[in-house]
Amino acid sequence: MADPGSEAGSEYPADPRPLIRGGDILILLLAAGLVGASFGAFWGPRGEGETALVTVDRSVLRELSLDQDGVFEIEGRIGLSTVMVDGGRVRFLDSPCPGRYCVHSGWLHRSGEVAACLPNGIVVEVLGGEREFDAINL
Amino acid sequence: MSASGQIGIDHARAACGRDDRLVAGFAALAIAIHILEAAFPSPLPGVKPGLANVITLIVYLRHGLRLAIWVAAMRVLVGSLLVGTFLSPTFLLSVTGAVAALSALALVGTIGGQRIGPVGLSVVSSLAHMSGQISVAYLLFIPHPALLKLVPVLLTAALLFGIVSGLIAASVLQILRRRAAAR
Repeated sequence: MADPGSEAGSEYPADPRPLIRGGDILILLLAAGLVGASFGAFWGPRGEGETALVTVDRSVLRELSLDQDGVFEIEGRIGLSTVMVDGGRVRFLDSPCPGRYCVHSGWLHRSGEVAACLPNGIVVEVLGGEREFDAINL
Repeated sequence: MSASGQIGIDHARAACGRDDRLVAGFAALAIAIHILEAAFPSPLPGVKPGLANVITLIVYLRHGLRLAIWVAAMRVLVGSLLVGTFLSPTFLLSVTGAVAALSALALVGTIGGQRIGPVGLSVVSSLAHMSGQISVAYLLFIPHPALLKLVPVLLTAALLFGIVSGLIAASVLQILRRRAAAR
């Protein structure tokens, strides 16, 4: 009973059953609903609130809302880095690293943009909204 | 006492040999389809018709879950060796898909019994196959939100190809049943 295959394997009914049975139609409806719902879930409008994700040594420290301007001091591996949020964009203002590459990265505002201060272990990444690709490899 | 025991073992051996030949034959068919499909270009990465699953489905409905698992395992293993993806990420995705599809097949087949035919089973296993692969791809290989944007497209493809595979399996099963009845 638990295994329909063994029954079907031992006896073959003379009249062929229809290609699609009642249970199949139920499953088709459920599946179509599920697939339809996936469009809503993955393609639906996202909340516009874009944020900047600040990670220190790979652990998430805080998420800064890009709507609220301000200057934030982040304690990193070798000292204090200063991150500034202004008018929906974010940048490193200062960092105790030798090259200041993070500061030279300038303003970030597009989703997916990243500035990193590797000596201090701090990464700032813009999240939310429409994400743009930095590379496509098929 | 010993004689009956001996007969029992012979029976078991004979059943084993018959099952082995069934698995080998069906697996060969599935592998051939698998490789033919791999040769065709795909409109979207990750989307292919998955017609080899027709074989898994037919074996499941005619010979039960155990043999279906064997055939799917042989197809994934030998297919990957022949295409050249053995132990690659593609292979892992293949394994995941097969495991997810067989689990769904066993679950829905057991619950639904005779009420659910090949088309329903095919759709369920196809969607499970795709969902399993997307999950592993997202968790292990490409943890990027852009992948999630593909999910509706991939699931739609899985649904359509699942229906097609199911109809093919249903027709083949009907033909096999008619032949057996005519004999």
